[in-house]
Amino acid sequence: MPVTYPNIAYGFKDKPKQENILFKNATVWTSEEEGVLENTDVLVKNGEISRIGQDLNAGGAQVVDATGKHLTAGIIDEHSHLAASDINEAGHNSSAEVNMEDVVDPTDIGIYRDLAGGVTTIQLLHGSANPIGGRSAILKLKWGESAEDLIFEQAPPFIKFALGENVKQSNWSGNRFPQTRMGVEQVFVDYFSQARAYETEKNKGGEDFRKDLEMETLVEILNGERFVTSHSYIQSEINMLMKVAEQFDFNINTFTHILEGYKVADKMKEHGVGASTFSDWWAYKYEVNDAIPYNASIMNDVGITVAINSDDGEMSRRLNQEAAKSVKYGGMSEEDAWKMVTINPAKLLHVDDLVGSIKTGKQADLVLWNNHPLSIYAKPEKTMIEGVVYFDIERDEQMRKQIREERNQLIGQMLKAKNNGVKTQPVTKKEKQHVHCDLLEEVQ
Amino acid sequence: MKRFNTYILIILLVISGKTFAQQTPADKQSEPVTIVGATAHLGNGEVIENSLIIFEDGVITEVIAANLTKRQNPGKIINAKGKHVYPGFIAPNSTLGLVEIAAVKATEDDDEMGEMLPNVRSLIAYNAESKIVESMRPNGVLLGQIVPRGGLISGTSSIVQFDAWNWEDAVVKENDGLHINWPDAFRRGRWWRDEEPGLKANKEYQENIQKLSDFFTSSKAYLAGERDYKNLPYLAMDSVFNGNKKVFVHVNGEKEIMDVIQFKKDHALKGLVIVGGYDALGVAKELKSNDIPVLVNRPHSTPNKAYEDYDYPYKLAKLLQDAGVLVALESSGQMERMNTRNLPFYAGTVAAFGMDKEEALKLITSNTAKILGIDDKYGSLEKGKSATLFISEGDALDMRTNILSHAFIDGREVSLETHQTELWKRYSKKYKDQESK
Repeated sequence: MPVTYPNIAYGFKDKPKQENILFKNATVWTSEEEGVLENTDVLVKNGEISRIGQDLNAGGAQVVDATGKHLTAGIIDEHSHLAASDINEAGHNSSAEVNMEDVVDPTDIGIYRDLAGGVTTIQLLHGSANPIGGRSAILKLKWGESAEDLIFEQAPPFIKFALGENVKQSNWSGNRFPQTRMGVEQVFVDYFSQARAYETEKNKGGEDFRKDLEMETLVEILNGERFVTSHSYIQSEINMLMKVAEQFDFNINTFTHILEGYKVADKMKEHGVGASTFSDWWAYKYEVNDAIPYNASIMNDVGITVAINSDDGEMSRRLNQEAAKSVKYGGMSEEDAWKMVTINPAKLLHVDDLVGSIKTGKQADLVLWNNHPLSIYAKPEKTMIEGVVYFDIERDEQMRKQIREERNQLIGQMLKAKNNGVKTQPVTKKEKQHVHCDLLEEVQ
Repeated sequence: MKRFNTYILIILLVISGKTFAQQTPADKQSEPVTIVGATAHLGNGEVIENSLIIFEDGVITEVIAANLTKRQNPGKIINAKGKHVYPGFIAPNSTLGLVEIAAVKATEDDDEMGEMLPNVRSLIAYNAESKIVESMRPNGVLLGQIVPRGGLISGTSSIVQFDAWNWEDAVVKENDGLHINWPDAFRRGRWWRDEEPGLKANKEYQENIQKLSDFFTSSKAYLAGERDYKNLPYLAMDSVFNGNKKVFVHVNGEKEIMDVIQFKKDHALKGLVIVGGYDALGVAKELKSNDIPVLVNRPHSTPNKAYEDYDYPYKLAKLLQDAGVLVALESSGQMERMNTRNLPFYAGTVAAFGMDKEEALKLITSNTAKILGIDDKYGSLEKGKSATLFISEGDALDMRTNILSHAFIDGREVSLETHQTELWKRYSKKYKDQESK
């Protein structure tokens, strides 16, 4: 049996290589001012988008006939818990010292399935068990690469904050501070006051100064060197966190989930915060009782940068459909809807100069769809990151065959061994756990 | 851009045109309604372009190509040229109206204590005024089977329509089905008993099947006897044995499904339905030959095992249908109540992964009605059936074009307003007013 990258189903025998490809005659969703370009060629060279235009010369690149197909930028999921071996460091009301980059699991089959859904970049977030969570890992879904090589190097540092029911431990028993939204505000004020004091001490540089990773992280936030994405639902807490940030002279970068964002969209715009929301989730807990599927449309109309996120390994792989729901709910234009899963999350993650749209010079993170990308009938045929095709629907078909053959071979070997009198063991089954931000235990 | 403007127009029409109060159920149909010019998707696989649909007193009296009739259009006329008409979508195996907010225990009425509860009835706990129920209508989901959860025998379901003052008005078919949670041959380690995590063989599997079997046998014996004391659970089994109540077995594994088929034979059960059926494909032949349909779990889920095809849940319904099994879609699982409004998009996804679109439509209309035993009235647009249908701007299986202008249940024009549309309008107005100041 060959070892594959990663060494599970759908791993590659040989890691796929960067290719120069000319997509011929595609409908190109640029996610830029140019909008949607019909009958257009896109040339990918050395991992970058090298040219966009008509009748481009392949110049040695492999030609892919994209007639009748749609080419888009890769989908970016601002809120994901895929590819992680842990989610929450929940014992404390702040865990700014922990880093999701330390728990990246590059062998999660969810990565491959996300690629099959056109996703190329995710923000792997800490959970929402405490007001100040852990630092994020922003990942490119380079299936087969090591944990380190998944990390999106040029992306700036982020941290997860959280508000509401999860941090006040409403839906499970808990006894640490805070237990109310009132307490949550005080946690933030307290920690940022400590961080300021710490920084003053640090600048003094006395002998007694002791480096503290948690405080270092908070100081980065105060100095605008680390961005905050905060899990949030209801309007009171959203407003509160903006006011706390303003009090300490920094900005909240993103409100994630933000299901009542539509109630304070004007205040959010004034603060300059972006929004990353679910398309239509609601009613699963009390704080999402007033969540509406028109949320994204309203915030978009007010002028906020809006993204649609998943927080879910199932939804993540069809975020194109989730974006399309804003066409139904609120009448958003298709171009704007598509931006909510490409350039807008790229802006929220401050990587929009590199990815999130089809523009000359950007990294070639692209998806070729068989159909209009917002249609329920759309499926990706190729998903590429930096010119490397990590998902190809034809290759997938071959891999399925190989997996079946390999399973038969293994079962055959086991039966043979059993018949030769080798000791057997009872059957066990593996299952993949669905991870959300309220998972407290170890990921299984 | 043109399309965008159309949507704006639609929204304005929706905002200004509707006069229905939120949540107030519609009155009985008082005059005939004629829908002219729409593409009618009958729900039985057929499509009529440029159709004429007439219904009176809640019943469809005509479905025909408009050019084939010289009939006068009676009553209220709805010009639906360029639009699409569908039979109301049906959500089987649902807990709508039984739970409002999953995290708030006080709002949960889906899972009664105990193991064998055939006498426990979902209908009387069904909250016809649930805010989640009303949110089904704007997506075309107009009927549902309300099912209790938990135990080995969870209880008895009923089928309701989604526009009613109370459960009594809502009921379409009372006590339609008995629900069994078939034991799993594998079980997760129980941490509270210091067991290792992960799935292992369930040592109590046979024992639990025996319990179920004993219960069926005992209830039969009781029912055949004097009945001189009242045993409520046994009495509730009467309708199972006389064929008036179908048996819905919630089960996924291949081995387990084979055991269910044996159970059906052992107890001579008619009208047995598999719910879930994740591994049903491996035993499709047996299901077909035993005439057992499957309510396939929602396609919007991930494969259970790493080596399975990434699109396995997307195409399972098609593969089963290709193998000759009667299938429909059900939406239980994570956040199942609010997600049930996505039922049309589950069918759309099955179409995206290989099934013909009109066949996929059957998975949430006529096939469902057949499996639930309400196909005499619901599930397709046919003369003599209930006028439970809606008009959509476009393809109702696609999110972008599932935009309803009218919906009817038994001929009553129901409100498409919800708690959510109300908030939408209120806050849209807030920002519009700010802009104009």
